[in-house]
Amino acid sequence: MDIIGPVLVAGLTTGALYALATLGLSLVWGALGMLNMAHGAMLTLGGYAAFSAVRTLGLPPALGVVAAAAAGVAAGALIHLLVASPLARRSPETFQTTIMIATFGVAIALENAILTVYGGQPFGQPVALRGFARVGPVTAPWQNLLIMGVALALMGAVALYLTRTRGGRAIRAVSQNREAAELLGVSSQGVYLRVLALSGGLAGVCGVMVSSITQLSPTLGGDPMLKAFIMCVVAGLGNIPGAIAASFGLAIVEAFVQYLAGARWGFPTLLAIVILVLVWRPNGLFGRAQVQRL
Amino acid sequence: MTGKDVLNRRSLLQGGALGAGSAAMLGALNARAQTGGDPIAIGSALPMSGVAAADGAEFRRGLELAAEEINAAGGILGRPVTIHVEDTADMGADIVTQAMQRLIDRHDCSAIINGYNVGTNMVEMDVAADNDVIFVHYNTLISHNEKFLTDPDRYYGCFQGDPPEYWYGPGFLLFLRNLIDTGQWTPPNNKIAIIPSANEYSIVIANAIRDQLAEFGFELSLYETVPFPTSQWGPTLARLRQDPPAAIAVTHFLPQDLAQFMVQFLADPTQSLIYMQYGPSLPAFREIGQEAINGTLYSTVVGCLPDDFSANFRETYRAKHGPTAAFLTGSQTYDGLWHYALSAAIAGGPGAPFDGEQNRRVAEAMRRLIYRGVNGIYRVDLEGQSGYCYPTQIGDPSLGMAHQFIQHQDYREDPKLIAPALYATHDFVMPPWITA
Repeated sequence: MDIIGPVLVAGLTTGALYALATLGLSLVWGALGMLNMAHGAMLTLGGYAAFSAVRTLGLPPALGVVAAAAAGVAAGALIHLLVASPLARRSPETFQTTIMIATFGVAIALENAILTVYGGQPFGQPVALRGFARVGPVTAPWQNLLIMGVALALMGAVALYLTRTRGGRAIRAVSQNREAAELLGVSSQGVYLRVLALSGGLAGVCGVMVSSITQLSPTLGGDPMLKAFIMCVVAGLGNIPGAIAASFGLAIVEAFVQYLAGARWGFPTLLAIVILVLVWRPNGLFGRAQVQRL
Repeated sequence: MTGKDVLNRRSLLQGGALGAGSAAMLGALNARAQTGGDPIAIGSALPMSGVAAADGAEFRRGLELAAEEINAAGGILGRPVTIHVEDTADMGADIVTQAMQRLIDRHDCSAIINGYNVGTNMVEMDVAADNDVIFVHYNTLISHNEKFLTDPDRYYGCFQGDPPEYWYGPGFLLFLRNLIDTGQWTPPNNKIAIIPSANEYSIVIANAIRDQLAEFGFELSLYETVPFPTSQWGPTLARLRQDPPAAIAVTHFLPQDLAQFMVQFLADPTQSLIYMQYGPSLPAFREIGQEAINGTLYSTVVGCLPDDFSANFRETYRAKHGPTAAFLTGSQTYDGLWHYALSAAIAGGPGAPFDGEQNRRVAEAMRRLIYRGVNGIYRVDLEGQSGYCYPTQIGDPSLGMAHQFIQHQDYREDPKLIAPALYATHDFVMPPWITA
């Protein structure tokens, strides 16, 4: 356990971060059929929002996390109102392509805005715990445990929201069949707004967690965005429980491959698994083929 | 140009710059020059956005401070210096090439003084050669020397402003051997673990350490290449703990990752000295790692020395840009521009792009001028046109840039220079996790 412990802690921490980043991305894809390329930039925004709240305004760290979520919610809502909604209205047939390019532009603009405001100098995230917890033979940094706890709590909250609330059921209804949901009185535009805001809020909190074990820099969201996309593809685009399972499963496999074969083999192995999964199941491990109505 | 001017320049070349402040020297060269000529454009292709934006900003600050001082001293033979910057964002050969070409095409830059750009395969040297401009950079790569030696005549104007990264390898081993020989450290064994990340700079240093271990009486316990970037060190630490080494050399260089290494290492530390590359010199390393970084060692072959000579630079830099400004980074381009300005003045003025004749004179002056800057001595090694490295490459401290070994002894304070002995301001302190 002396050896396995740190490997498992690394795998679970990475898995929690992958899952948190994937959750919002998958939610938006499932509901809107939209790949939000600005997801990573929203994550960065959240990290900086928490930093400003704690360092500049002197708020306690817990409120820093709230500020991060609020910044993400605002960014998500603005992306819907200013980018996604107009594009969907004007060119619904090319929406899936144009929204990718448009949100990629948003990501670049947001990243450069952060660079202009905060500068390129990296900062440490003040919302972070110090010290270690010893559980039997395993020693884990408190921050890693916090990341796992926050990820589990948010996943549970999102699951409850989607299954137990009226708003969550509306999101699921629109994801399954937008026309039918609208006929039953569900406002699809309202649902899209909620989904992007929720996804932004999740990204904001994820940004705080990622930056707490790396650093705050304008390019913070790039790597989590890439990993989240990979997890979404493996699980099947839009499948939230599948994405979470894939995040933890692949992160633990990655950590053990790094230990057994060397750190440089972790990511290539992960990509090899993705290729194999897509060859075996083109719609992802938990995905279902979409029927295109003509 | 009068015969007396030539004599003055010649005597200065013979005497070198030693004993005279750069500004005073430039002022003397400018004394007979007519003031108010056309500005001299100096270009710089820097990563102002993207992953290295923080360093890009510091490189720019260094250039701007040098330009201010040069202009206050009368410019270069009466002509003021202007700085033009092009962003190289995430760097790479294509982006850096285009940025440098724009500097030449748009601004007629006589010289391009860069900080570093990664992933360029030193293609910058071809741009400089094709356009006949002077090019100074701090990529800190042995591949600069190798490329220069393929055609010294073509790359006459290309200078690396510091020693190549190769010297980190033997320099680190020499440092460890000195610690042992002087009784400052008794290693529990003679094993060293080396942890590079997947990039040229990191791997060249790691290989230079690995290849010379035996010469210095050490052996390898682990050579583990990690992804770039990497923040979860659990698997690597588990491998390290299976065969605890006397010293761990992490040649990966991102400050946040190195700070995380220390945080996670201290959960169950081995009795090993920890040496890291570059990242610990940045404020982010201290800010993120806090008390976990106390005791870590790092080194640099180029960086502002904490001596009286550079005190004015350090104070001016921090006064202008705040207490967290990384003058260690800005000092590089600062010295680069000063060295160029003095050399151009000695050579009779800068050459415009495609003026190979005059630019060759400037390059010759740069090769001959032994420049004492805030980073120490820059003397051009003709076998590659990089700086000499003291003490590993050359034993005379007046002829090489000091390979500085620095230790974080208290994360709330600036790190301490502990070697080489001639420059050291503090003694080596045993890291807190070493109990034996």
